[in-house]
Amino acid sequence: MSHDSGTHRSQPLDVEELERLPMEERAKVASAVDGVNIVHRRERFPVPGTKAERRAERAVAACFLLTFLGAVAFTVAYVVLPWRYESGNQSYAWFTPVLGLTMGLALLGIGFGVVLWAKWLMPEEETVQDRHGGRSPELDRRTAAAVAVDGLAMTGLARRSLLQKTLGLSALALGALAVIPFGGLIKKPRGLVQTAWRDGVRLMTSDRRLIRPGDIQAGGIATVFPAVQDGLTTQVVADSVVLLIRLRPGQTVRARPGQEDFGWQDYLAYSKICTHAGCPASLYEQQTGRLLCPCHQSQFDLLQDATPVFGPAARPLPKLAITVDEEGYFVARGDFPEPIGPSYWERPS
Amino acid sequence: MTDRPSTVKGRRLRRRLSGALALALALGAVGVGYSTVAAAAAPKARAASDAPAADPVEIRKGRQHYEQGCMTCHGQNLQGVQDRGPSLLGVGEAAVYFQVITGRMPVARQEAQAERKQPKYDEAQTLQLAAYVQSVGGGPELPTGDLRGDDSNLAEGGELFRLNCASCHNFAGRGGALSAGKYAPSLDPSTDKVMWAAMLSGPQNMPVFSDNQITEEQKQAITNYIQTLNEERDPGGSSIGRLGPVPEGLVIWVVGIGAIMLMILWIGAKS
Amino acid sequence: MTLPTTETRAEKAANWFDDRLTIAPVVRRTLGKVFPDHWSFMMGEIALYSFIILLLTGTYLSFFFDPSMAEVHYDGSYSPLRGIEMSRAYDSTLDISFDVRGGLLMRQIHHWAALLFVAAMTVHMLRTFFTGGFRKPREINWLLGVGLLTLGIVEGFAGYSLPDDLLSGTGLRIAHAIMLSIPVVGTWVAFAVFGADFPGTEIIPRLYIVHVLLIPGIILALIAVHVGLVVVQMHTQFPGPGRTERNVVGERMYPLYAAKAGGFFFLVFGVMALLSGLVQINPVWLYGPYNPAQVSAGTQPDWYMGFLDGSIRLFPAWEIRLFDYTISPVFWPTVVLPGILFTLLALYPFLEARLTGDRASHNLLQRPRDVPVRMALGAMALTFYTVLLISGGNDIIANKFDISLNAMIWWGRISLILLPPVAYVATYLLCLGLQRHDREVLEHGVETGIIKRLPSGEFIEVHQPLGTVDEHGHGELEYAGSPVPKKMNRLTSAAQRTRGFLWPVKEPAELQARSDTERALEESDERQLAGRPREPEL
Repeated sequence: MSHDSGTHRSQPLDVEELERLPMEERAKVASAVDGVNIVHRRERFPVPGTKAERRAERAVAACFLLTFLGAVAFTVAYVVLPWRYESGNQSYAWFTPVLGLTMGLALLGIGFGVVLWAKWLMPEEETVQDRHGGRSPELDRRTAAAVAVDGLAMTGLARRSLLQKTLGLSALALGALAVIPFGGLIKKPRGLVQTAWRDGVRLMTSDRRLIRPGDIQAGGIATVFPAVQDGLTTQVVADSVVLLIRLRPGQTVRARPGQEDFGWQDYLAYSKICTHAGCPASLYEQQTGRLLCPCHQSQFDLLQDATPVFGPAARPLPKLAITVDEEGYFVARGDFPEPIGPSYWERPS
Repeated sequence: MTDRPSTVKGRRLRRRLSGALALALALGAVGVGYSTVAAAAAPKARAASDAPAADPVEIRKGRQHYEQGCMTCHGQNLQGVQDRGPSLLGVGEAAVYFQVITGRMPVARQEAQAERKQPKYDEAQTLQLAAYVQSVGGGPELPTGDLRGDDSNLAEGGELFRLNCASCHNFAGRGGALSAGKYAPSLDPSTDKVMWAAMLSGPQNMPVFSDNQITEEQKQAITNYIQTLNEERDPGGSSIGRLGPVPEGLVIWVVGIGAIMLMILWIGAKS
Repeated sequence: MTLPTTETRAEKAANWFDDRLTIAPVVRRTLGKVFPDHWSFMMGEIALYSFIILLLTGTYLSFFFDPSMAEVHYDGSYSPLRGIEMSRAYDSTLDISFDVRGGLLMRQIHHWAALLFVAAMTVHMLRTFFTGGFRKPREINWLLGVGLLTLGIVEGFAGYSLPDDLLSGTGLRIAHAIMLSIPVVGTWVAFAVFGADFPGTEIIPRLYIVHVLLIPGIILALIAVHVGLVVVQMHTQFPGPGRTERNVVGERMYPLYAAKAGGFFFLVFGVMALLSGLVQINPVWLYGPYNPAQVSAGTQPDWYMGFLDGSIRLFPAWEIRLFDYTISPVFWPTVVLPGILFTLLALYPFLEARLTGDRASHNLLQRPRDVPVRMALGAMALTFYTVLLISGGNDIIANKFDISLNAMIWWGRISLILLPPVAYVATYLLCLGLQRHDREVLEHGVETGIIKRLPSGEFIEVHQPLGTVDEHGHGELEYAGSPVPKKMNRLTSAAQRTRGFLWPVKEPAELQARSDTERALEESDERQLAGRPREPEL
C-alpha cells in the first residue's frame, strides 16, 4: 500500500485520442500530464435520483435560501429599523445586533451550502501529486551558475577594483540619500524638565475655579491644573496635572530631605503623572495613604512622601511646593524640582 | 427742636444708643439682603438647612437600633472600640446611610473591605440610625431634592466622572481593584442617594468629595451620567461587562476561535 | 458535431485569454493542484480570510474617519458627549458609530476581525511549530510568518489607537514611556515619532498612514510570498497510507478544495458578522476622549499586546543608575524581552536544526508526541506567555474573583519562573508516555474489551493485532509516524469506517452491498489473537 504512488508524465497525448475519451476518463488523463494521479473517485450517489440524493440537494438549497432570506432581511432592517441614538427611546439599540444577525446568517448560509455541496454531493476523491521541489537537477544548477558567472565575467567587475570601490561607495551614498530626508522627523528633545508651573501660578480645578484650603475635606483629593491661559489644553495637562491631597487628621508625612516644607499644613501636591509609564496615578486610598496607578499597579505611599512601595515604579512622584497666597488661594512656589513622569536616559539627578 | 440731654453722660449714652441702633439696622439690612439673594441663588439640589430639624422620636428610635446592632463594635457613645470599629463621632448621616442601606454595616467579618450585602435595616430604620449619629457628632448630611438635574448636564457629568471617579470605578462605573484585597465596587446597584452619600462621606478608602470641591450641580451631573449609563442599552450588542479589552480577548478565543475550530473539524471530517 | 451554446461561449472566452497570455497549461496546473485535507491545515486560512475582511471593512471606515488631532466640540447624536472638546479623530469615530447608518457594525467587524487575525496567526503558528512544518525547506516561510505575526500586532496597536479615546490614548502614553526608556536614543526616538513632547499633534495622522498604507502593503506582499511558497513547495502532510516525502495526497484544488476553502471563507465571515452584531467591542463613547489627566481602572491593550502589559506589571522596580544616566525599569520587560522572544521565535528552525543535526528536507510532518523536546520547549514557552497574558489582566481578575491585587502580582512573578520548567518536564513525560503507548499497541494489538477465561482459570483481555504477528504473538508493524488505531471502530478500512461528523452517515444500499463484500474479503484472513502466548488447547 505504501508503494511510491508513482505517477509518470504520460506519453505525449493525441488530441483526437483525448477527445474520444469519456469526461471522467479524460480528466484523469489530463491531470496525469501534470503528475496528478486521481487514485480514487467515488460518486456519493452512483444511482442518480434517489431520495437520499434529493434530501442532500434540498439541504444545500436550504442553505442558499437562508443566504437569500438573510440578505433580504438585512436590507429591510438596514432601511427600516430606527438607528439614530436617542436618549430615552432605546429602540436604536437593536439596529446593529439585527444587522449583524442577518448578515451573519446570510454569510453562513452560503458557506454551509458550498461546504455541504462538497461534502455530500460532490464525488469523494483521493488524488496523489508528485512533488518536484527540492534540489534542482544538477544540470540546471550548473547551467544557471554558468550563465551567472559568465555574466559577471562580462562586467569584468572582479578585476576592476577601481570600479568595485567606487560602485560600492556610490551605493552606500545612494542608500544614505534615501534615508537622510527622514532626518526631518528628528527633533531635539526639549522641555522634558519643565512644566507649566512657576512660582506664583495658582492651582485651579477642571472648571477653572481657584482653590482655597477648606474646599477639600480631610481625606479628599482633587485634580488641579496650573491657572494659566492654556492650563487645560492636552499638551499642558500632559505634564502639569497635579493631585492636591488633604491628609486625614493624625496622618503625618515623612518628607524627603529638602522637601519638608513643600506642602501647606495638611495639604500636599504631587504630580499626577506616574513615574513608571506616565498614566495618571490617581487611585487614592485615604485610609492607608496609598496612591495606586491603575495601569501597572504601582503603589505610592503618601505618608512616605509618595515613595513607591509596591509594583514596578522606581521613583517617588515629584512633589510640587505650594503655599496659600494673600487672597487665600493655593499657589505654586515654583516648578517641580525634578522631571515628571517616566524616566529616560539623560534624566538629571 | 428736641430737648438735648444736658449732661455729658447723657450725651455719651445717646451716642452709644444711636450707634447701636445704626449698627443693628445695618446688620439687619445686610442680613435680609443676603438671605434674599442667597435664597434666590440657592441650588435646587438640596437645602439641608431647609430640612426639618430631625425628629427626636426618630433619633430615639435610631438610638435603639444602635444599641441593638452597632454598639458592640462602635461603643456606647460612638467613640469606637479598639480593633473592632472606628469612632462614629462626626461621620455624619451620609456615611451612616451609605454603610447601612447597602448592607455593608453591620459587617459580617473583619476583612480588607466591608462588602455590600443584604441590608439588615430598611430605609426608614436606616434614616433613623443616620439621624441619631448625626445628632450626636454632626458631619456630612444627606441630600434632599433633585439628585440628578436635567440631561443637559450629562456631558459635564461624564467629564467629571472620568476625571475623579473612573480611575477607581472604571469608565462605566463597573468597579476596579485597589491594593491588597480592597476594591472600588461597581456602581450598578447604587441609587442616587447612595452615590451622593458616598461622595459626601468618603466610605472606607474612598476619598471625600465635599460640596466645595465637587459642587452640588456637579454631583447631580455625575450621578445623572452614571445612572443614565446604567439604564441605557448598549448599541453594539452585549456589552460583556463594560470592562474593556480583557473580556473581548476572552470572547474572541472562546467564541470566535472556538466556533471556527469546530467548523474546521467538521469540514475536515470524512463524510 | 455541434457543441451546446454555453460551451462555445465559455470556450470563446478562454480562447481569447489564451491567445494573448498562453495560460492553458497554467490553468490546468492550478486547477489540478493537490492539497492535503487535514483539518489542522485550515488555520492559516482563518488568518487570510480575516485579513480580507479587515481590508474590506477598513476601506469602508477610511471613507469616514478623519485622523486629525485638531480640537473640535462634539455636535453629533450621542448626547452624553455633546459639547465636549475632543480631537477630530475621536469625533469622526463617534460619527461612524452614531451618525453613519451601519457604521457601528462596520467598526465592530473591523475590530473583531483584527482580534481574530492575530489569534488565527497564533494558532496557525502553533500548529506549524508542533508538527515541524518549519523545517527545511520551509524556514523562509516560517520567517515570513513570524514577520506577519509581528506586523499584525503592530498594525492592531496602530489601528485601535486611531480613535484617540481614553483607553488607547493611555496606551500611547505607555508607548511613549517605552520609547523614552531606550538607552542613549530614547528621547530622540520619542520626539521623532511624536513630533514633540507627549502627545503632540502628529501621532494620530502618522499612525493612520502606517495603519492604512505602510503595514497593509507590507502584509499583502508577505502574504503573497507566504502563500506562493506554499503553492511552489507544496503543502506538507502527515505520514499515512500512500503518503511519502515525494508526493502529496489529498484533493485537487478544483472543485473540491476550492469549494471547501471558499465556503470556509463565508463561514469565517459569517461568524465575524454574528459576533460583531451581537457582542459589542471597543465602545469608545463610554471611554471618552483622551485626556492625559484621566484614566480608567482596568486599562488594558487588546489581547495580543496583553503579554507585554503583563511583563511590564510583573517586572520589579529595578531602575539602573549609571553615573548620570538612567535605565528605566520599563526598558527590560517591553523592549528587551519581546526582542528576545521574537528573535528566538524567528531563529527557531535554525536552532533546532543545529541542535538535532537534522539537515534533511522534510515534507512529512511529525506528530507532536514524536518530538518530545520540541513539544516540551513549546509548552514551556506557552506557559511563560500565558502567565504574562493573565498578568496583563490581573487587576480585573483580582476584582472579579476577590483576589488581592498584590497577591496576583506575586503569583505572576513566581509562576513566571517556576511554572515553565514544570511544564517542560510534564510535557516531556507526557510525550514519552504517548509514544510508549503507541509502541505498545503496535506490539500487543488493540484492546477489544472481550475478557476470556483461560483453562487455567486466568482472565485475559483479548487484543486484536494490527497486522501480522511473530511467533511470540507480538506485532511486527513498525511505527510509521501516523496515528495508531487504539479502538476497534478505527481498525477497519477507510471505506467502512463510521463516517460523518455530527451523526453517522448511513450508507445507501448500493454502497452497503459493496462494503459487505469488502468486509467478507477481509474476514476471510485467519484472525489471530494476541495478548499472551497461546496456551495449548486442552
